[in-house]
Amino acid sequence: MKVITSDALGAWLDRLASETILLAPRSVDGIALYRPVAGSNEIVFDYTRPKMSPKEAVFPSTETLLSIEKHSQDVTLSEPVQEKKQVIFGLRPCDAHGIAVLDAVFVEKEPVDRSYARRREATTLVGLACPQMWESCFCTSMGGAPDDPSHMDVLLTAVPNGYAVNVVTEKGKALVADLELGEMTGALPHPTLGETVQPLPAERWPERFADRYWDLLAERCIGCRVCAYVCPTCRCFDVRDEVAERRTGFSRYNRLRCWDSCTGPNYRITAGGHNPRPTKGQRLRNRFFCKFYYMLQDYGSTGCVGCGRCIEACPVNIDIVEMLHDISKEPVISEVTA
Amino acid sequence: MTGNGCDPMRPYLGRLVGKKELGTDIRLFQIELTEPVGKSHFADYRPGQFAFVSALGVGEAPFGITSIPSRGEVLEFGVAKLGSVTGALHSLEVGEMVGVRGPLGNWFPMNEIKGKNIIVLGGGIGGAPLRPVINSILDHRSDYGHLTILWAARTPSLLVFTDEYETWQSAPDTTLHLTVDKGDEHWKAAGRSEGLITQLLEKVAPSPENAVTITCGPPIMIHFVSLTLKKLGFSLDQMWTTLEARMHCGIGKCGRCNMGEKLVCADGPVFRQDQVAGFLESFL
Repeated sequence: MKVITSDALGAWLDRLASETILLAPRSVDGIALYRPVAGSNEIVFDYTRPKMSPKEAVFPSTETLLSIEKHSQDVTLSEPVQEKKQVIFGLRPCDAHGIAVLDAVFVEKEPVDRSYARRREATTLVGLACPQMWESCFCTSMGGAPDDPSHMDVLLTAVPNGYAVNVVTEKGKALVADLELGEMTGALPHPTLGETVQPLPAERWPERFADRYWDLLAERCIGCRVCAYVCPTCRCFDVRDEVAERRTGFSRYNRLRCWDSCTGPNYRITAGGHNPRPTKGQRLRNRFFCKFYYMLQDYGSTGCVGCGRCIEACPVNIDIVEMLHDISKEPVISEVTA
Repeated sequence: MTGNGCDPMRPYLGRLVGKKELGTDIRLFQIELTEPVGKSHFADYRPGQFAFVSALGVGEAPFGITSIPSRGEVLEFGVAKLGSVTGALHSLEVGEMVGVRGPLGNWFPMNEIKGKNIIVLGGGIGGAPLRPVINSILDHRSDYGHLTILWAARTPSLLVFTDEYETWQSAPDTTLHLTVDKGDEHWKAAGRSEGLITQLLEKVAPSPENAVTITCGPPIMIHFVSLTLKKLGFSLDQMWTTLEARMHCGIGKCGRCNMGEKLVCADGPVFRQDQVAGFLESFL
């Protein structure tokens, strides 16, 4: 394995920031977030995991799928221009795993989602291994690890004389091609691991579907949807048109795609008023079943990477790990819900 | 429309070439696609498939396609005015442009059910995705056995495709039965059937022998029709239905239309009743 000194890394990041869009953990009002940076001096290195996942970089919270221009009776549709190249630096292994889950939905399952695929193609992931699992982290329960290079293009690991450079993909190789790297001596440090939870095997989840547990758990849910917004893998969206410009004989609209979440009360309501998921218990159950059962059936990938953000963000302390513990036990509450 | 080089989220442009009243706040929209690529992708859609129709500038929503390609290039959709997109569609004038995205989803097994007696059960605007089934059968009449149509709505003014009933009825080996939950004076004066489609179904009592049923309507109707059919001796694998759900992509991405692990858009919208019975999550 190769190694890069801290100074050389700084110079490289400065160059990347000038040549491409560089996203990296930056302190925004004291909170680390993956944000565009102008140089290495803006990057924070002593972060745990940024409050928001890097999902926004490949699947923005709001994006224009299409512009609609109307000149009296004539209509033209135009798609946004090609995405510029971007590098996400300092990405944690759980976050790269999250992007791999989005890939499974948007790219690996036909038909390919063009908008996502364009942006994803233009993105290179340069991760930074976690020295330890922090509070709420449970990546090792979800098939990941604090130093997992699996879904990265390049993974860096802090070592005493700089950073070990693990080039994982061809894309990564191209990015580091002109870097002067030294030879790594000694072994990579082992991250400090936290506890793991053994989730109920996917095939046993249906047994727990008609369980009153979900209603009880959801009693305190306020449907705020923050769990979905901080989640690296939640990808539900809404599409609607918005007026961008309107004058005599001309109007322009943007067809917007926005994040949405299945825990919102109106999520399933049709125009006719039918709502097959009217209770909070049903909606929260859907969120968890989606992650641990439906995603696996539909896209071949579990929908949770163990980043723990939803645990930290939930205003009413609904804890996904606690839920995994609860439902892996024999049902204590077997009263059936709708 | 997968793998053909087109963005599956981009609609094809089309022009509204006709609109007709089908009932109170229900209209038939006739759309002629204007882009060659759109025309070619809609050249051979099947009964039961759906498409998103855009009221450009307001949004798009999914609708069952109610036309069949063998009868012409014009795409037809029966749309009840219920929400913002349907409201905007209803206010369009003939000549205005719309967007159409599709064709999407699976379809009724028109080949597999050849030679069988077909019972079509439509409730309200749920009749729209069944009209292509009826018209396909009528256009290939000798390929199928007896066709029984049970057509229902809450009131007479909500019965759709009324101007086609005569054609349906006069087709060989075809019977049409109508019912409304509550008739008006004319309906009552004519001595026509009042009551739910399930009551009509019990009265008509079609034989399950060599028969399949195809149902569309409100979820609760689909549910009770399947119970009545069971009473009449039909097994679940003889019953086909098409389900609706709120959707925002139609291509298995947006996560909106799932019932358990099944996606109405990508796994349906056409399902056999034994599949529906096996869903983890109820569609009701």
